[in-house]
Amino acid sequence: MPSVSRVLKIAAIVLVAAAILAFPSLAPNPYVLSAGVLVLNYAVLATSWNFVGGFTGYISLGHGALAGLGGYATGLLVVKGGLPAFAALLVGAALVAAVAVPVGFAALRVRGASFVIVSIALVLILLLVFQSWASFTGGSRGLVVPRPFDLSRPEHHRVFYYLFAGLLAVALLVWWLIDRSVFGLGLKSIREDEDKAEALGTATFAYKLMVFVVSAGFTALAGGLYALWFGDLDPVFQFSILTGSYLVLMALLGGVRQLFGPLTGAIIVGVALEYFKVEYGDTPLHLVATGLLLALVVLFMPDGVLPAIGDLIRRFTPGDRTSIREVSAAELRDQRLQNAGGTR
Amino acid sequence: MTLTVTDLRKSFGGVTALDGATVAFQPGRINALIGPNGSGKTTFFNCVTGMIKADSGTVVHRGRDLTGKAPHTIARNGLGRTFQLCRTFPRMTAVENVLAAVPPKGLISGLRSARRREETDRAMGWLTRLGIEHLAHAEARDMSWGQQKLLELAGVLMAEPQTVLLDEPAGGVNPALLDRIGALVRELNAEGRTFVIVEHNMDLVMSISDHIVVFDRGRPIAEGPPAAIRTDERVLGAYLGV
Repeated sequence: MPSVSRVLKIAAIVLVAAAILAFPSLAPNPYVLSAGVLVLNYAVLATSWNFVGGFTGYISLGHGALAGLGGYATGLLVVKGGLPAFAALLVGAALVAAVAVPVGFAALRVRGASFVIVSIALVLILLLVFQSWASFTGGSRGLVVPRPFDLSRPEHHRVFYYLFAGLLAVALLVWWLIDRSVFGLGLKSIREDEDKAEALGTATFAYKLMVFVVSAGFTALAGGLYALWFGDLDPVFQFSILTGSYLVLMALLGGVRQLFGPLTGAIIVGVALEYFKVEYGDTPLHLVATGLLLALVVLFMPDGVLPAIGDLIRRFTPGDRTSIREVSAAELRDQRLQNAGGTR
Repeated sequence: MTLTVTDLRKSFGGVTALDGATVAFQPGRINALIGPNGSGKTTFFNCVTGMIKADSGTVVHRGRDLTGKAPHTIARNGLGRTFQLCRTFPRMTAVENVLAAVPPKGLISGLRSARRREETDRAMGWLTRLGIEHLAHAEARDMSWGQQKLLELAGVLMAEPQTVLLDEPAGGVNPALLDRIGALVRELNAEGRTFVIVEHNMDLVMSISDHIVVFDRGRPIAEGPPAAIRTDERVLGAYLGV
């Protein structure tokens, strides 16, 4: 018999998926729809970030730069290279993934705070390059990327909403595949104790590098799709520390060990960000609110919203407990025999 | 010889931890490494397993030169180790902890499910043998110190090492568990595994080891069977404090 929490979990997933798919039909105006596109963009970025952050525990603040690179690569391939929009998107993402190899090679040599700082440096360096190299990137005047479809504004938003939703589905699927794989187990053991993982025979550096490249590829796809949707790139926004900080906030808020954690966080933070911007305009108040949110999460839900909800459900469904303290060795042995007999 | 270490040297700043240590371990034996604190035993382990790069010297295991190799390469060459302050993956279940010790051979096999039947059964087999199978689905962080020590050992054994280095297996362990660990080491040894054990518990050392190497100031000063070591004057002076 499936447990209560499992049924609730599946129901919640179906509900959220249905809500995401139905949103464009329910959105009252193009502005709200465009906010939905932004939230989904964040959801893809946060899920992509979680390939590194969730599996290996390396906190990157530099993923904004990888998204920016993806955006510029796509934009420049369209504008200067004359590639069709979606060919440019794929080639751009492949290029960023290739760039991620040397970047990861350098950055993943250091751990903890040093890694965070190296990842910030990546953002700052790229910001300088893309601002100064105006003849190629358009510099601070920006880079205008032509729209791929000849559609009205609401239709344009709708199409890109579903494109982002599709990309999100692919990113989630790949994350899930890695999560259940032997490779994923190795990555998680790196998160738990890197030296111990290495001592057990896991090629930790190669593992980290591989997952970093996958993460960069998805991040670049999200950035490139954003470029095609928004149509105007400015280095200040593309290479911003804020983007990376938002992604970290979203992933931590939702729960980095959870498949749907970053998505949950992106919906909460993304909606909150839009709301604060509408309410307080462009004052720094929305940043204060974001910071407050992060502090609250760290204080009260260090594992994120989803695990907190899971604990809550478990508290109200006795018999569903997994605590080792309350089950005897004999009971567990019986359970094991039952499992071994079943088709699990 | 199954593990031959020649002229291993390592200094940390001005402190010489290993001062030309040369030791050869015969296959199929339980070897003990004893010596005062700071005599270089753990550094010796760390250099042999590649966790620390030695300044000079060579390490050969079963005919393969492992000098300067990465720790994961050395581990895959059949040299497993535990840590002095036992290390497990705290937020992974016991069975995951053990499964994590069988890294995939290639990219494709890496994408297969981590919970394949035969591997899981093998992991459960080790947990059962070490008497902690009832904790298979508990997270390591919820386990007691002794249970974690057994779990760490299960992980190391899962990789099927020919040579097992144990760093203070008796540290912080109660007498009942100590007996179990001792018996287990003897059993595993009887199946053909070579052991090298760093240990301060002299009762354990004297009762299970075939061969004892005494370290002092970064190099071996004596070696031999327990009976000989017990009466060796250099050992008494350096270590047993008589």
